[in-house]
Amino acid sequence: MNDVGVPVLRACGLCKQYGRGEGLVRAVDEVDLDVASGETVAVMGPSGCGKSTLLHLLGGLDRPSRGELWLAGERIDQLGERALARLRRDRIGFIFQAFHLMDELTAAENVELPALLAGRSARWSRRRAAELLERVGLADRAAHLPSALSGGQRQRVAIARALVGDPQLVLADEPTGNLDSQATVEVLRLFEDLHSSGQTLVIVTHDSRIAATADRLITMRDGAFVDETRLTGGSAGNIGFLAGLTE
Amino acid sequence: MSKIRLIGRLVGRDLRRRPGPALLLVLAITAATATLTLGLVLRGVTNHPYLQTRAETNGPDVVAQIRGFGPARSQPGPHHGPPPTQGSVSHAQIVDEVSRLTHAPGVTGYSGPYPVASAVLRYGRLIAPVEAEGRSQAAASIDQPKLIAGTWVRGGGIVLERTFAEALGATIGDRITLDGRPYQVIGIAVTAASQPYPNMCFGAGGDCVFDLHDNQIPANANNGLAWVTEPDARAMGSAQAPLSYFLNLDLKDPATATTFASRYTVAPNGPILIAWQALQSGSGLLVQDEQQVLSPGAVLVALLAIASVAVLAGGRMAERIRRVGLLKAVGATPGTVAVVLLAENLALALIAAAAGLVIGWLAAPLVASPGAALVGTAGAPSLTVQIAAEVVVVALVVALASTLVPAIRGALIRLSRRLPVPLLLGLRLVARRPRRALLSAASVAVTATGIVTVLTFHATVHLQSAGSAGSLGNPAFDRDEQMLAVLTVVLLVLVVLNAVCTAWATVLDAMHTSALVRALGATPRQVTEGIAAAQVLPAVPGALLGIPLGILLFVAANGGGAVATTAPPPLWLAGAVLGTLAGIAVLAAIPALAGARRPVSPILQSETA
Amino acid sequence: MQQEVVLAMLAKEPSHGYELRARLRQALGPLGDAMNDGQVYVTLARLEKAGLAASEQSAGRPDRPDRKVYALTAEGQQRVAGWLAEVSWPRPDLAEFHLKLIAAAAAGLADPLAIVDTQRRELLRRLRDAQRTALAEPDGSPAGLLLEGIVLRLQADLRWLEACERNWTPRKDHR
Repeated sequence: MNDVGVPVLRACGLCKQYGRGEGLVRAVDEVDLDVASGETVAVMGPSGCGKSTLLHLLGGLDRPSRGELWLAGERIDQLGERALARLRRDRIGFIFQAFHLMDELTAAENVELPALLAGRSARWSRRRAAELLERVGLADRAAHLPSALSGGQRQRVAIARALVGDPQLVLADEPTGNLDSQATVEVLRLFEDLHSSGQTLVIVTHDSRIAATADRLITMRDGAFVDETRLTGGSAGNIGFLAGLTE
Repeated sequence: MSKIRLIGRLVGRDLRRRPGPALLLVLAITAATATLTLGLVLRGVTNHPYLQTRAETNGPDVVAQIRGFGPARSQPGPHHGPPPTQGSVSHAQIVDEVSRLTHAPGVTGYSGPYPVASAVLRYGRLIAPVEAEGRSQAAASIDQPKLIAGTWVRGGGIVLERTFAEALGATIGDRITLDGRPYQVIGIAVTAASQPYPNMCFGAGGDCVFDLHDNQIPANANNGLAWVTEPDARAMGSAQAPLSYFLNLDLKDPATATTFASRYTVAPNGPILIAWQALQSGSGLLVQDEQQVLSPGAVLVALLAIASVAVLAGGRMAERIRRVGLLKAVGATPGTVAVVLLAENLALALIAAAAGLVIGWLAAPLVASPGAALVGTAGAPSLTVQIAAEVVVVALVVALASTLVPAIRGALIRLSRRLPVPLLLGLRLVARRPRRALLSAASVAVTATGIVTVLTFHATVHLQSAGSAGSLGNPAFDRDEQMLAVLTVVLLVLVVLNAVCTAWATVLDAMHTSALVRALGATPRQVTEGIAAAQVLPAVPGALLGIPLGILLFVAANGGGAVATTAPPPLWLAGAVLGTLAGIAVLAAIPALAGARRPVSPILQSETA
Repeated sequence: MQQEVVLAMLAKEPSHGYELRARLRQALGPLGDAMNDGQVYVTLARLEKAGLAASEQSAGRPDRPDRKVYALTAEGQQRVAGWLAEVSWPRPDLAEFHLKLIAAAAAGLADPLAIVDTQRRELLRRLRDAQRTALAEPDGSPAGLLLEGIVLRLQADLRWLEACERNWTPRKDHR
């Protein structure tokens, strides 16, 4: 891991714009963000507010129009495609709304893929994949194709895949967007689990349940951050009131 | 219910539900088999052009060339020049020899003797030695040359032999001079009675047409052949250039012509007899006729048509193995399902083969143009059992290949697990689109076949006859080589286009996969390698297949020709295969590389939108 | 504690007050702590007064409320049957908040947006707590189901608050 003092992720004045003149659209507008090690940050906002674009910028899937981006103290917004690829392979893990698993590969093979791309041996990759599938509770489904898995199970495979390189940072884009409530709970458990094991997470979502797992909640509107909340405190007593118990 | 009836019912129901792809498959195979039939039938027609010519012109079994040294005694008037020199033959002697031959045992008929004058023909800048045979206007019973243009001899008119006319570049109405006397070209004809066959103008000795500035006709030049009226021929005889006589004989048993000829030939001054078998296999260089070039061309195009459409349709049909719900619901086991699908494909293939055979046979007379054949109208093209069998086999092979598509796909997936990542990606892409992979393989096979055919052509002609002099300047020869080269260029262009389109389509198709894989950390180079591998992998069997196919195709087209086929040297073949594969890799790498640097994010986001 | 709930718990068999209390606690799990112990006894007394339940002195020391055994009367049974068949759903309380926002805006007392944001933050904190508690419950526990219900309602309320936020946000100029 990295020094406690250095934030895992730092963005300064990040901008992404499209078009020109009258048609100029600022998808991301002067965003500053610091994410400390082990922190879970949730970004919420209405559709079209630019949160997905922001996440793609943070992960190097897209290039910012302006601004600086640092990962564990290294500048990454200026890197070439190949260096970015290595980054995505080794240091950043991605979880997408649509899972994006490869349909012709089994669950285990899907999880192995980033390791194989990184040049790890087949045996190491297989072992690591088995470990991670065990962790997400899908050890018995390792040989199944994605078509044989439910939505929640697929997303869990995707989470396992994101963790295969032991990344410094995991980015999740609407991880429960395509899931029903049962599957959402499965994924929720995993995120809580990741959080308690010290993984740094940045989650973009409009599901308040997922957002509630975060330490910090940032609200985004029209490409800019407008609010930030620390979610702490409270006890079961308050909940009792919500259940209608105390009068 | 018996198994067969059950399968029949299932096939029927399946076809009724989805007639579209089935129809497509039938159409495609029909188109291919029709073209194939056409090519094969036409090849049969021109396979034995000599025999056709012989049949149409009542060609002789034996030709006797009687040399005469001396003026024609039958002409009244004063003698020209000095009295006959030593070794010359008198008129009476000629009559004797003719009589001896015509009364020889086994001879059933004769025509002639026809006087033949050796003259010098001038046409524009060109000069050529010619043998002018004197004929009557009435048709001869044996060896009546068949006109392919114009009319037969009359006073002041000359009929040229076809290849001679082509070598001169003369057509009907042109004016030429023979020994200074003016004549007009009034006809062009073919005959089976003169050597060397099929191209009279070009023997092993040399050309028969020369440019004027040569001034001198070389001593070993061949003579062109032409026909004039008898009086005109006799008028050209002189002491310096005496007449000869051609006598055509028919035998009771044509097979004995060779022995007859050797028995009655009197060398060096007497008659020289040539049997028709010797005429057929004459010492002329091999000439590929247009149709012999066209039919392999037609076959190649047919193969490409098969590859492009049939596999597409067939593959689509075979994919229905996944949608096998209907069949499974009826209670069919996986084995039965497979058999049903195979039966479907085979049934459709047979229907298509039959349709193609009929269409091809009907179309053949339309395609065989009179001018192209050496003879004139091609006879009724015959649909032999062999041709029918070949076509049906091809159709069945296509059907089988389509059924095997999913099985191959499964095997590919299992294979890919053991490979380095770019190859793994490549194989995944191939497995996702097996139809496209088969299409690539087939079109590469077609190009390779074309290239190898051309190489074999060159090897056969140039390498083999490199020793003998005078393989130059045969315009018909060059024309066929040109045609073959043009055909190959066309094929190459088609395949390049196909390769580019397929590669681009693969890149577009794989855009999501490659974006995803790049999001997971694949470098642009790994993605490019994967896509290039996906293109090259199916091309390898295609290119290798082209070698035997190309040689076979040439042998098939060459059937009946005088020169044995020579396979091209291995170096040429290796060069052809490697060149093709390298070309494909490059053509795939370029669009892949271009696509591999595009930003990942928009591609992934558009999927989730 | 609703009277009908205690009545229904008696329907199984006559019980002591402390037995009822224990069963209620078990059903509520961690939320049982929020329940006021004394409430049960008060409710039982009310029920007795209303004639829906009857008590008997059990063997032991007299005059101690926790020694009484309570049972349903015929009327009480009828009431329970009727309650079980009812379909009314717990009342939402949205009108109050809605009017709060309007009043604040009208009187210029406070920024409605700030009110919404504050409320939202509070609900999010509660959601977090409820969710954590729910996840800690073993699968299939009745308390876990109750907690899930709380979480989902909070989620629904948060969605409404987001709508309020959108509605009360002054339109920004497009730059």
